[in-house]
Amino acid sequence: MRVLLAEDEPHLCEQIKKLLNAEGRVVDIVNSGLEALHLGATEPYDMIILDIGLPERDGISVLREWRSAGIKTPVLILTARDGWSERVDGLDAGADDYMTKPFHMPELAARVRAILRRQSGQLNPVVEMGNVVLDTRNGRVTADGVPIDLTAQELAVLTYLAHNVGRMISRTELSEHIYEYDGDRDSNTIAVFITRLRKKLGPDLITTIRGRGYMIDSA
Amino acid sequence: MLSLRQRALLGGTASGALSVGVGTLAVFSFINARVSDRFDTALLDRHTQLVVGLSVTTHDPDALRDLMFDPAYGTPYSGRYWQVSNSEGEIFTSASLFDGVIAEPPGTPDVTTLWNTRGPENEALRGAYQKITYEDGTVWGVSVAESQAQLVAERHTAQQSLLPVFALVGLIGVVGSLLLTSIILTPLRKLRSDVAHRWDRDEDLKPGDYPEEVSPLVEDLNQLLRRNREIVSGSRRQAADLAHALKTPTAIMRNELLLLSEAGGSTETAVEALDRIDAQLGRSLARMRALNTADLTHSRTDLSHSIDRLARLFTTMAEREGKSLEIERDPGLWVRMDAQDIEEVLGNLLDNAVKWCKSKVRLTAGRTRNGIEVVIDDDGPGIPQDAHREALRSGGRLDTSVSGSGLGLAIAVDLLKAYDSRLDLGASNSLGGLECRIVIPKGTNAHPASG
Repeated sequence: MRVLLAEDEPHLCEQIKKLLNAEGRVVDIVNSGLEALHLGATEPYDMIILDIGLPERDGISVLREWRSAGIKTPVLILTARDGWSERVDGLDAGADDYMTKPFHMPELAARVRAILRRQSGQLNPVVEMGNVVLDTRNGRVTADGVPIDLTAQELAVLTYLAHNVGRMISRTELSEHIYEYDGDRDSNTIAVFITRLRKKLGPDLITTIRGRGYMIDSA
Repeated sequence: MLSLRQRALLGGTASGALSVGVGTLAVFSFINARVSDRFDTALLDRHTQLVVGLSVTTHDPDALRDLMFDPAYGTPYSGRYWQVSNSEGEIFTSASLFDGVIAEPPGTPDVTTLWNTRGPENEALRGAYQKITYEDGTVWGVSVAESQAQLVAERHTAQQSLLPVFALVGLIGVVGSLLLTSIILTPLRKLRSDVAHRWDRDEDLKPGDYPEEVSPLVEDLNQLLRRNREIVSGSRRQAADLAHALKTPTAIMRNELLLLSEAGGSTETAVEALDRIDAQLGRSLARMRALNTADLTHSRTDLSHSIDRLARLFTTMAEREGKSLEIERDPGLWVRMDAQDIEEVLGNLLDNAVKWCKSKVRLTAGRTRNGIEVVIDDDGPGIPQDAHREALRSGGRLDTSVSGSGLGLAIAVDLLKAYDSRLDLGASNSLGGLECRIVIPKGTNAHPASG
């Protein structure tokens, strides 16, 4: 799952990125409103964490422009502006959730998970796929109850497929959601990750649809 | 200091009194002159009559009493007299002089001379005298005199008849000055009204709507009002910048402490200190806003709209926790409060209610005889009666005002106090939990711009 983080404080960006990476999310960071507007409108993010007090352009106007352009990516506003009027303004502008600074990292992680689950229709943070269980709260994976170690990229692929159970995902879409904006998006490496996941989690978990992509069956 | 109306009334009265006084003196002086002229003319006519009468009776002056037929000459001390005297010192008088005589003017002039003298019983007389030499060679002093009492009475009558006229003129002057004051003050009354309605319409006053003497003041007022607004928005921007500048680093520190804690480090003291910093920051920023708000903004806010906005947010929040929020409000409730401030008050109270209720929160808002009341009830545990004062205490200890345990109430109290409004706590009769009653008195609530 790919997340855009629009925040102008570099240390906070690194902390949030570290938190989300640990749960198998890929995070792109931008430090200004104009950059956020551009990437949010052109890249297929699964959600956006948006500060209001961004340089060059404030977050609320960026969010309004996204919504008026028909971009429906879920947005969580993360801001120091804690007035109730500002919260309502943010939600009225099209935000899905609103968090004020200072905040607790576990709460941010929980809100991000909740938004991504709502987005994918997964109400339970623990996704069961046959004998494989993915706990989205901590990125832990078990097969037949045995913990399995996955690399960050393998976890990112599994997490995206798990959030889209029953839906065919093309290699392109998969690469768009597991690589950072500046990352090397060689879609051929997707096949390598799929092969590794099959080795670790069993050959039947991920189905290949020839010439089109991959899918985890909902059955 | 005297009001403009009082000054105009005093000035109008003084100038009116001066005008009436001077006018009265001038008119009375004119009347006196006219009455005296008429009196003297009549006196001279009688003197001529006596001179003519004597011309045919110089040989028998006693016959004059028959010739001068005016009955007043025959009545003793009637106030009308005549007298003739010859060179031998013989004096002949009208019967009205009885046994008295009229003194002759010094120098016994041979031209007709008017003068003031005294008559019988020291009566003030106006006399006419001439020394005449007749054709028969006799020389006579010819005098007529008339009591000045008649002259004084005539003057008095004329003055009395004019006094009511002058009083009426004076009254008209005072009423006129009041009317003039009212007309002059009309633009100032309009200015006052426009300034009051400006808060409603949130637009500048129009200098062109005022007389040229007042329009510079209107422009100055516009500048002052704009400056006030800039001060408020500037201080709010500063508060927001300060919040951003301080809260982001504390968020970073909090996260570093969390990592340290997960690695087995002891962070409790540092986290507690950070909590206190956050609480102090929240409280200080809220107080900054309360201090800068009410006196400078006078904004007008659609309370019903604000309630609806917050209802959308808190209904979602309550439903996520399996709770419900019920809203009952009158339409068209307006208050003279900044929208952010009243929404901050309502938001804090609704946040507490949703947080502490078991399953239900109800907000009711409507007009009362004294203003507008907003009541937020819940079915939570409430706050004991003896703890209400501490919960609402402005400036209470911050270490007891950590998030969720009273800071929101204290901020709400500070903000409401800035608008002369108040927050009362009680027990909810209908839901059994806490009842928060916001009382916004008349004067703080406003009506739509149309009226």
